[in-house]
Amino acid sequence: MSATAPQVEAGAAGHGAEPRGKRSEDGQATYLIAIAEALWEEMERDERVYMLGEDIGVYGGAFKVTEGFIEHFGAERVVDTPIAEETIVGMAVGSAMEGLRPVAEFQYADFMSSGFDEITTVLARYHYRTGVRLPVVLRAPSGGGVRASNFHSTNPEPWFAHAPGLKVVCPAFPSDAKGLLKSAVRDDNPVVYLEHKWIYRRIKEHVSEDPDFLVPLGKADVKRQGTDVSIVTYGAMVHKALEAAENLAGRGVSAEVVDLRSIVPLDEETVLDSIAKTSRALVLYESHRFLGVGAEVAALIAERAFEHLDAPVVRLAPPNTPVPFSPPLEDAYLPQVADIEAAVERLSAW
Amino acid sequence: VSTEVQMPDVGDRPLPDDRLKEMLHLLKLCRYFDERMEALYRQGRLPGAIYSGRGQEGTHVGVAFPLEPQDSLFVTHRDLSAQLTKGLDLKRVMAQFWGRIDGYLRGRDGNSHIGDWNGSRTFAVISHLPIAYPVAVGAAFAYQRAGDRRVALAICGDGATSNGRWHEAINTSSVFQLPVVWVVNNNQFAYSTPNPVEFHTPTIAERASAYGIPGVRVDGADVLEVYGAARDAIERARTGGGPTLIESVSLRWRGHAGHDPAKYMPTELLEHYMAEKDPVRTFEEWILSEGVMTKDDVDAMAERIEQEFDEGYAFAQSSPFPEPGDVTKGLWVEDGYWDAEPGRAGGTEAG
Repeated sequence: MSATAPQVEAGAAGHGAEPRGKRSEDGQATYLIAIAEALWEEMERDERVYMLGEDIGVYGGAFKVTEGFIEHFGAERVVDTPIAEETIVGMAVGSAMEGLRPVAEFQYADFMSSGFDEITTVLARYHYRTGVRLPVVLRAPSGGGVRASNFHSTNPEPWFAHAPGLKVVCPAFPSDAKGLLKSAVRDDNPVVYLEHKWIYRRIKEHVSEDPDFLVPLGKADVKRQGTDVSIVTYGAMVHKALEAAENLAGRGVSAEVVDLRSIVPLDEETVLDSIAKTSRALVLYESHRFLGVGAEVAALIAERAFEHLDAPVVRLAPPNTPVPFSPPLEDAYLPQVADIEAAVERLSAW
Repeated sequence: VSTEVQMPDVGDRPLPDDRLKEMLHLLKLCRYFDERMEALYRQGRLPGAIYSGRGQEGTHVGVAFPLEPQDSLFVTHRDLSAQLTKGLDLKRVMAQFWGRIDGYLRGRDGNSHIGDWNGSRTFAVISHLPIAYPVAVGAAFAYQRAGDRRVALAICGDGATSNGRWHEAINTSSVFQLPVVWVVNNNQFAYSTPNPVEFHTPTIAERASAYGIPGVRVDGADVLEVYGAARDAIERARTGGGPTLIESVSLRWRGHAGHDPAKYMPTELLEHYMAEKDPVRTFEEWILSEGVMTKDDVDAMAERIEQEFDEGYAFAQSSPFPEPGDVTKGLWVEDGYWDAEPGRAGGTEAG
């Protein structure tokens, strides 16, 4: 590389330090730190893995996920690029064709639209057309609820779920975030990895330190067992669903929370097993209601679990509008805990 | 902007005789293939589309000729001649045009939307131009990182220089000083849109200065001039000198695609290029005048090319179609479709 990063002294907070050192005193990792740990461990494990993106080096990334990486791994493996999203994706593709395993970071998932053609036309379709493997991970902070307004709050998972050839992952917990990202880096297919920015620093838990701790792509997880209603969801909405389920339990309603974790491949069996148990389905999602991820899940349940259903499948999701800024507007846009409780209670009354 | 081309000293000719003969073979093969395929298309005997590169063979053969086997080539649907120069097998190319399982892409894509990454190191063409330019940046990045002196060469048309990715890719390649050569096949028309509606500078080559890289403008009718510019640019990239932009000027003799009669093309311009700037005939005349080959040699070469085409055609017709049951296979690496020999029970009659 002729473009070398300025040398930065290690020792200052974050510089050259393993992300594991940033866990809380009781050893818990936030979602953000868990993601950083996954990247660090995979970079340590495999020389072919490298990162590229805007301001990921000295600055440490828009959300500081890659803080300290460039000092440890160097500018050849933590590549700051010009602001050119189509070329960032194209670079990832071309270098993957030559045997590298790139992990590209978008500052916000919204800006994936600036690289859309290279993602959906090149990256997604190339293996089906040619058999050439493209082990590329695209990481991007998605989702709303942090007053980030129109262009920093998008949930683009349906765009990419509708581009055959891309795996799409939306973790909700630090452990899943770490295990899924490590699996994504090791996967030989392209993976769109959407990390929900509302979760970054809000949720922490004990996370495995095993360097081979993996969570498989395409497997859902039941985060709370229940018997009356299944809430099928993913991403930040998992946390809203769990809060609602706790409140509902106090009123004698038992809600099960199914966390899809991966949108593509979709774990149909775990969803159907849950419906077979509860006979009622609330599909909760943060992408737009119209043709969003939950529309496919609702159709799946209607087609394959009809005989188990005691009530119509209900969807709860944002309206078909851009994400507004003003707090009352954004709160009205996003499904809230009270909305979830009301929907579950209506379902359980059937 | 420099148009000076220094030819290597191999006596009084720029290349050894066997290489010159090879160059003529490629030029004549590409021209013959283009003409015969258009005839088959017009007879309704060829499914799908064709994108003629006729009149631009000097650019295609000239830029791809100096590449080493391990170098990579990123081209458009118009540049099949460059892919043939890089080493694609005519039989498998023709199997692709007829949607057969022995085509390079097993029927997953058609016509000149072709590529052979694991063999000839060519990127499988994608229509959204210049979509391969950013991918070439990535390949060149990998070569630079590996320090293995390989080079990526990418071709797009004049039309694609209006697209943002053209800027993004060239700019990024210059920032990192990557081993890549950017070629623009300026055939003066983007579908029906002429150069003055595509860009406002007198040339495309001078836009290189905006990126701090050398820009060269060459005559696409002179395959040796194109070859010399490409060879120098490839050598510069290979030795750490960074990217070069080459504009090779020709004219698109046929429509954008087989269905386009190109009535927008000024007749005098086309007639001038066909009469005065035919890269195939010009080079053949030079070969004869230099005594590299005799007229009999060239006639025999033309006969061999006809045979090659006929053999390719027969191979394509006898190759089976893909099996319809395989339509969902190969999306994911783990289903193993591309690691195994494909099914051959698809028959040779379209369903």
